[in-house]
Amino acid sequence: MTLRQAQGHRPLQPAVEARELTRRFGSFTAVDRVSFEVERGEIFGYLGANGAGKSTTIRMLTGLLTPTAGSGRVAGHDLARDPEAVKASIGYMSQKFSLYLDLPVRENLAFFGGAYGLEGKELEARADEVLALADLRTLGNTTTGELPGGLRQRLALACAILHRPEIVFLDEPTAGVDPVARRTFWRIIRDLARGGTTVFVTTHYLDEAEYCARIGLMVDGRLVALDTPAGLKRTWVPEQVLVVRGRELRGAAAALSGRAGVRNVIPFGAGLHLRTEPGSLAPEEARRLLTEAGASEVSVEPAEPSLEDVFLAVVGNSHA
Amino acid sequence: MRERGGQILGSERLRRSLIRVGAMAGKETLHILRDPRTLYLALVMPVLMLFLFGYGVSFDLDRIPVAISDLDRTEASRALVRTVTGSHELVSAGEADAAEADRLFRRGRVAAMLVIPSQYGEKLARRERVSLQLLVDGSDVVVANQVLSKADALVRAETRRLASVELAGPGAAAAPLQVKLWTRYNPASLSALFMVPGLAAYILAITAVLLTALTVAGEWERGSMEQLFASPVGRLEIMLGKLAPYLALGMLELLLVVAFGAAVFDVPVRGSLTLFLVIGFFFLVGMLGQGLLISILTKNQLVATQAGTISSLLPSLLLSGMVFPVENMPWPLQLLSRVIPARYLVHALRGILLKGNGLAALWPDLLAVAVFAVLIVAFSAARFPRRLA
Repeated sequence: MTLRQAQGHRPLQPAVEARELTRRFGSFTAVDRVSFEVERGEIFGYLGANGAGKSTTIRMLTGLLTPTAGSGRVAGHDLARDPEAVKASIGYMSQKFSLYLDLPVRENLAFFGGAYGLEGKELEARADEVLALADLRTLGNTTTGELPGGLRQRLALACAILHRPEIVFLDEPTAGVDPVARRTFWRIIRDLARGGTTVFVTTHYLDEAEYCARIGLMVDGRLVALDTPAGLKRTWVPEQVLVVRGRELRGAAAALSGRAGVRNVIPFGAGLHLRTEPGSLAPEEARRLLTEAGASEVSVEPAEPSLEDVFLAVVGNSHA
Repeated sequence: MRERGGQILGSERLRRSLIRVGAMAGKETLHILRDPRTLYLALVMPVLMLFLFGYGVSFDLDRIPVAISDLDRTEASRALVRTVTGSHELVSAGEADAAEADRLFRRGRVAAMLVIPSQYGEKLARRERVSLQLLVDGSDVVVANQVLSKADALVRAETRRLASVELAGPGAAAAPLQVKLWTRYNPASLSALFMVPGLAAYILAITAVLLTALTVAGEWERGSMEQLFASPVGRLEIMLGKLAPYLALGMLELLLVVAFGAAVFDVPVRGSLTLFLVIGFFFLVGMLGQGLLISILTKNQLVATQAGTISSLLPSLLLSGMVFPVENMPWPLQLLSRVIPARYLVHALRGILLKGNGLAALWPDLLAVAVFAVLIVAFSAARFPRRLA
């Protein structure tokens, strides 16, 4: 009973906790004192260029690599003290997720189910559920090798969540998959998170990162930013970008460049991009000034910064 | 209460562990059934090899061509030639001069030349000692040995014939020394009888090592090993799940080889089939374990195949006593052969199949293969990394 009660309290703990997690390979530090927490039921995106330390972090959190220093808790279990308990409560889809291509779809599920201790009716029922979730219901008897890449990826995810893990770690799950298949895949990930599963996902597709509740940004083994997508944009791309379209803009641009709060005015195609300090210049004000300076048919729209802007700012900053 | 809880937890853990091993073994069985190469390697190749070796590698030589140089040309010398070439083991390749021997050998026309000296008949009549000369092409040791032993036997036969002729006549002398050759266990001196137990060990050694070497290395190459390490499946569970199906396949292979040996080459099974299976079982575990160890160390199918072939084929072929008797080896090789499990299996199989030996005679062989099996599996488990790095 006491065990049950203890488990009942666990949702209060974060799903994943990393404390100063460090991994060195010889003199190379792949992951350098990384600390973060992932909330339960959250989709946590882990972003970074290739070689930034994303996979190494995941491998430490899944018990595949021993941290050189630091500690971590996954699903409430200490990585160093109880790696087996960690393994039993997580699902993992490695970067090179390896289904057995010579076996039919259902046999892959049966194997991974068995590897996590599922058998008989329970396994059958659960296999049906995940096949439905991954939209693979009709393909149970197809040889896995005959599936296109996007479907294999979904099957891999299905194998990783068969045993109802509290947390799934997905390492570059959509690498090399076409955009439509990536969209479908992310719909499944969101369904999974809605069902209460914590999702820890690495990617280098910045459009995908928008789906994440929070994003950690890795540069050269260090976690340099961690926030919601909106928070990251506020922090890292503080200036506002105004997109200006109209006629006779080039001549009128001089009226803006000297004004306080305007950082620069860049010709962009037939129009202009204005980078301004937030709140210093309202779009309407800019339109008025340009019209007074001789431009006509002027329209000014604020542009939303993308995660790509954030990424470039972060990388530029940490390399500066 | 606490203890009971612990027991329940313990049996639940065992149940889950068995499910995991079962999942591994089940998956591996499906791989085997779906991969024609594995089935070919395990079930077709051994039979083919058995036929090839059984028929092709025969040490039973027949109709060996021998040149005759009869310098005597008497009734007595012609009688000797009739005896020597009449059995069809050695056949006359025609008359030739002793000086030509070298040329004939070089061209491979004859394997030997029998030279009968010029006063052969006279000396026989005077009951003097006569020396016959047999020139043998020693470049092929097997043929040379056969010629020597056959010629020896035939000349003895001729001696006996001469003695019996004299016995019938007046003034009979003492009968010459009679040598009677009696080959036991393999009365017809058939190579197949001698070869099949050796072949069974040889074939089993290669295929078993290759089978596991390929499957575990494949798991590394595919990247599924990483997936397995991130799951609760333990090292020992992976090893057991991998070994079990191949062990079953190997036992089937062993029975197949012996069944074919019995059906095609009339190899008897004189001893206990149970002992045969028990020794075969431990031998297989050892060989499968060797394959496992290789693939754990190499993590690469190509390297594992080469290492597996070399480490199983050469020792099993050369050092097991399958072809070359261990007793004739120089002592360093004899010493080396002691750590080759195939040596013990070859000895045990010959004992069981041909001699009908039991545990009383074969326990050292059983012990040796069992020790090898335990050591190699334990060593593999120790070298099997739990983590990626």
